[in-house]
This record gives sequence, C-alpha cells and structure tokens, in this order.
Amino acid sequence: MKMKIAITMRHLFLMLYVSLFLGVLAGILVQLFLHPHAYFWWEEIPVFSAVYGFVGCVIIIIASKALGHHWLQKEEDYYEKH
Amino acid sequence: MIEWFHPGFIFLFGAFLVPLLKGKKRLKQAYILLLPALAFVNLLLMSKGVLLSEGKTWALTFLGYELTLGRIDRLSMVFAYVFVIASFCMFLYSLHIKENWQHVSAFLYIGSTLGVVFAGDLFTLFFFWEIMAWASLFLIWYGKTKSAFGAGFRYIMVHSFGGVCLLAGVLIHLHNGGSLAFDSFTWGIGGEYLGVNLIFLAFIINAAVPPLHAWLADAYPEASVTGAVFLTAFTTKSAIYVLIRGFPGVDILIWLGAIMALYGVVFAVLENDIRRLLAYHIISQVGYMVAGVGMGVFGTAAGEMAINGAAAHAFCHILYKAVLFMGMGAIIEVTGRSKLTELGGLYKYMPITFGLYMIGAFSISGFPLFNGFVSKTMVVQASAMWDYSSIWLMLELASVGTFLHTGLKLPWGVWFARDKPVCEAREPPKNMLAAMGITAFLCTLLGVYPQILYNILPYPVHYEPFAVGHVVAMCQLLLFTFVAFWLLRAMLHGTPTITLDTDWFYRIPGKKVIRFCEGPLMAFANYTDRNVMKMAGFFVWVSRNPFAALRIKGKEVRLKVEKPVVSPESVEAYERDLEEVKKRQPAEEPMVRLNIGTAMLLALLFTALYLIAMFIHGWLIK
Repeated sequence: MKMKIAITMRHLFLMLYVSLFLGVLAGILVQLFLHPHAYFWWEEIPVFSAVYGFVGCVIIIIASKALGHHWLQKEEDYYEKH
Repeated sequence: MIEWFHPGFIFLFGAFLVPLLKGKKRLKQAYILLLPALAFVNLLLMSKGVLLSEGKTWALTFLGYELTLGRIDRLSMVFAYVFVIASFCMFLYSLHIKENWQHVSAFLYIGSTLGVVFAGDLFTLFFFWEIMAWASLFLIWYGKTKSAFGAGFRYIMVHSFGGVCLLAGVLIHLHNGGSLAFDSFTWGIGGEYLGVNLIFLAFIINAAVPPLHAWLADAYPEASVTGAVFLTAFTTKSAIYVLIRGFPGVDILIWLGAIMALYGVVFAVLENDIRRLLAYHIISQVGYMVAGVGMGVFGTAAGEMAINGAAAHAFCHILYKAVLFMGMGAIIEVTGRSKLTELGGLYKYMPITFGLYMIGAFSISGFPLFNGFVSKTMVVQASAMWDYSSIWLMLELASVGTFLHTGLKLPWGVWFARDKPVCEAREPPKNMLAAMGITAFLCTLLGVYPQILYNILPYPVHYEPFAVGHVVAMCQLLLFTFVAFWLLRAMLHGTPTITLDTDWFYRIPGKKVIRFCEGPLMAFANYTDRNVMKMAGFFVWVSRNPFAALRIKGKEVRLKVEKPVVSPESVEAYERDLEEVKKRQPAEEPMVRLNIGTAMLLALLFTALYLIAMFIHGWLIK
C-alpha cells in the first residue's frame, strides 16, 4: 500500500516537471516563431509569466504573513474581550 | 393579453406558496425547482420576442410617477440569465432544507435582485434594493449561532446606511433637476453632484469596495450552509450591474477595482475560516469587474471590451463561486467544522466533492478551458488596450493569489495536509452533489464553448480567448505559482486567529458608544426625565386652583419663616390652617398616560384617516 502511494507521488512530480518544462519551452517557441501582439515590453520576454507567477506568489505569501503577524492577526476571542 | 410578466415576480409571489405546501415534501421540492425553471422559460420567451422583447420597457403609473419596472436590453438580460440559472442550482443544493421560511427568504432575495436588474427608474431601483437587503439578512440569521446573529445585525446596519445613501442621493439628484430614469449619470465630485455621489456610495457599498467591504467577509461565512451559497451571487453582482448602468467609465473605479483584487488576496492568506477565505476571494474577483466598469468608456473598442469583460466575469463568477461555496458548505454540513486548523486528510471520504470543488477552483484561477479564463482575461485585455501597465500587473498578481488560495491552499488544507483524517466524514446528500455537478458542468461548458456566453454580452465581442500566447502565458503563470506554493506550503497552514479588518471601526468604537449610551447617558436621561416629570406634576397641581395653590405656598413659607420665633401654640394653629387650605386643592392624581404602543397606534390611525381623506379628495376632483 505504502509502495503504491510513493509511486503515485513520484508520477505526479514527474508530470509536474514535464509540464513546467513544456510550459517554458512553449513560451520560448511562441515568442520565437509566432510573435503575438504585445501591449507591454515585458510580454516579449519568453518566460516572463513563469517568473512573475513564482516571484508574485512568494511576495504575496511573505508580505501578507508579515502584515498579519505584526498587525492584523489577533486571538479568536478578540471581539469578545474588547 | 398580458403584455409582460416580470420574471422577478415569479420568485416574489411564488415564495409565499412554499409554506402552504407543509407536509408534502416531494410536492414542495418540485415546486421550489419549478419556479426558477418557469422564470428561465420566461426569459427565453423574452429573448425570442414573445412577451416584451429586448429594447422595450414596461411602465406603471403610480402616484403620478411613471415607474419603469421592466427595461429589457442586452445588459439586463445577461444578468437576468445568470441569476435565474444560478438560482436553480442553488435551490437544488438547498432542497433538503426543511425550514420553509429559509426558502421564502431566498426567493424574495432573488426576486428582488431581478427587480433591481429590470428597474428602469430610480424609485423602483430603491424599492427592490431594500427588499434585497432585508431578505438576505434572514439567510444570515438562519446560521442560528450567536455570531451569526451579531454579524447579521452589523450586515443590516451597513446596508441600511447604504439604502439611506441611495434614497438621499436619488432625492437630491431629482431636486437638482436630474431625471428619474436610471441611466448613466453625469459624473463629478462635489456640491452639485452630491446626489450622484451618494448613489455611487450606495452602489460601491453593495459591491464591497474597500474600505466599505467588511460586511461581506463578516457576514457571509456566518450564514447557514445553503444561505451562504445564495448570498455569494446576488448582492455584489447586482451592484456590478447598477455600476455598469450608472457609472461606466468612471476612472476612480479602475484603481478601486485593482486595489480590491489584491486586498482580497492578502486577507485570504491570513484567514483560517474556510468560507471567510472564499468570501475574501469574492471581494478580489469583484475587483476585476469594478475595474472593468471603470475602463468601460462609451463608444471605444477598449471600453466595450471592458464592459463585456465585467458582465462576462460576473456571469462566470456566479457559477464558479457557487461551486466553491457549495463544496465548503458540504464540508461544514458533514463535519460541523469550518476552520482550516481543525480540518485535513478528508480526501478518502469525499473524493467526489473534492473533484467538483477543484473544477470551481480551476475556473476561478482562470485555467484555460474553464470559464474564469474566458472572462477574466477580457478585463485584463481591456487594461492592456488602455495601456494601464500597473493595473495589468496588479490584476495578474491577483490571479496568482487566487490560484494560490482557492486552488491550492484551501483544498490542500481541507482534503490533504495530514496523514490521517481529522474526523469521520462522508459525501454530502445527493441533491447537494447534483447541484455541484450541474454548476461545475456549466463552468466547464462555458470554458470550452465561450461563444455561448459571448453571444449574449452587451456589445459584439472581438476577442479570441484561446490565442496561443494567452494560453501559454496563463499556463506558465499558474504552474510556477504551484512551484512557489509547494516550496512554501509549510507557511500556509492555518493558524487559530482572526484577522482585523475595517469592521473594527464599527465593532470596537461602536461597542464603546453603546456602553456610553447605556451608562452615563442613560443615567443623565433618567435624571432629567424624573425632574421634568416632577415639574410637570407641580404645574398641573397649580393649575387646578391657582389661587388656593398660591395661598398654600404662601402659608407654607410663612410657617417656615415664623416657626423659630413664635410660640408652639401659634405654630399648631398655623399648621391646622394650612391643612384646611390644602383640603380645598384637589390632591395630585396621576395623569392619564399612554404607553408608546397606544400612542403609535393613534398616530398611525390619524395618518391612515388623513390618507383616506386625501385619496377621496383626489378621486372626487378627478
């Protein structure tokens, strides 16, 4: 049983790596051969969306957590107590 | 021959038959599903030109005003379609609910929303606007907890304030020579635009634009499991409709919308309550629509794209948000738990719910072939056509955040995250699963064949969602969001906390104000009241026989003054004399007092009499 789960997880990761690779590859190919109409300069960078997705996600998590930790998050009975 | 039958009236009047079908379970269920189906047929007939077709209006004369209850055009039709279709799915989801009045509230809520959508003048709009607020309140109170009651109370306070703003705005607008017709207003800020500004304020309160959004995240997660599903669709999306109608191309909305989109995302990171997390994503998604309205300048290609985008996104949003809330509602229904810290590992019990929820999650995240992708990208495209680079970047970032929470963090935390399930669970009742299934199917259908949706949008659509560049960019964005999530997932566990939001401003100082009112202010009021009553009693006593009263007081004073100096015998004589005089003045009797209820009844009676007299008068003159 345990073996089976391990294999499934490995398969999932393999799929993830392949799709990440294909996504980047497709981005590069599209920019090289199709030249879609770009409104902003950064849209012409082939892997812009990938980088933006990754960096954006990290920033959202860290910035929100910091905001919550230092200011906004309170214990659950905050409104009963105050 | 009936000229037109208002689809909203099917809900509004049909609602009251539900309690009459008590005890006949099957019949009642069939009836509940029949009403939205009838309304849908009505809409189809309208689109085919039977019963008042597009481009026509239907008005009623009332007290000298021409009230336009029906304005049918492409914009009102697209919203009416989605409201009716979604209501069918939602009633299917709540079919097992035995409380008739919960169904009645939902029917009134939807009927009044349709009233808002077809309203062609400002009075009709206001009328249905108010029913909408009160009917939805009961869906929150049916949560039946102490916190639901409190949240509902705050909800109706905020919406009453919004309602008053709307009414005041309409009256000032009319007073300044504005027209009663509900069309796009001339926008400006300041004195002469006060009426328009107040109407705008009322609209953005209902659209939950920060900082006026806290009612949404406060109240929706406290509603009953099925009530919350209804709530997600109607209030905010009807607000988007009225904004499109009244304030297209008002540029402040662009920034408000983009900020809103990110605001919801930031708060969703911090949230532990599963439905509150989704509620913050309503705010975030409505941000796209608000930004779309702001970019919707009449007569420009980019403006038409933006309005189409806002309407299409409202359409898609209602469907996928319903799936998401249905999924989380199912979790609460079977486990009784609603916090991420108390959930986890439930996949093996509820794989179907998980699968259907994920369709909603992929839709809201905008995966290609799901409906969010075909509508959200229209708004983003409009921002590119206007060359708003920072808006574009903010909206794309909000997409990342949306996938992170609704697509990854929430399902991960609820169905996985732990090796062992935290509690027993099972799939929810069949009607709930069926409702999720149908709604999820619609999400995918629109994602694969967006043309169905594009054909009913207000303007002709010149947009190709599946352009290779778009698809590849979106895939990259979402795939790498997943990578970041996987690396940082340890940071994303729920924490047993709540997050302060702008409702703090009326919850904490509000409490203090109430405490002040109950304590010192009440004491002062009682003191004043007591003394005023005493004085009033004295005057009444005097007025009964002023001469005797004067003599009594005179003798009392004389007694007091002379007592220390004269002999005890004279004092006794004086006192006897005083008693004698006092007997002549009637004793103080309590005045006849009415309680407030009786007084109100009398006032109402007089008003009614006055009204009847006025009607008869008007009738005679005619």
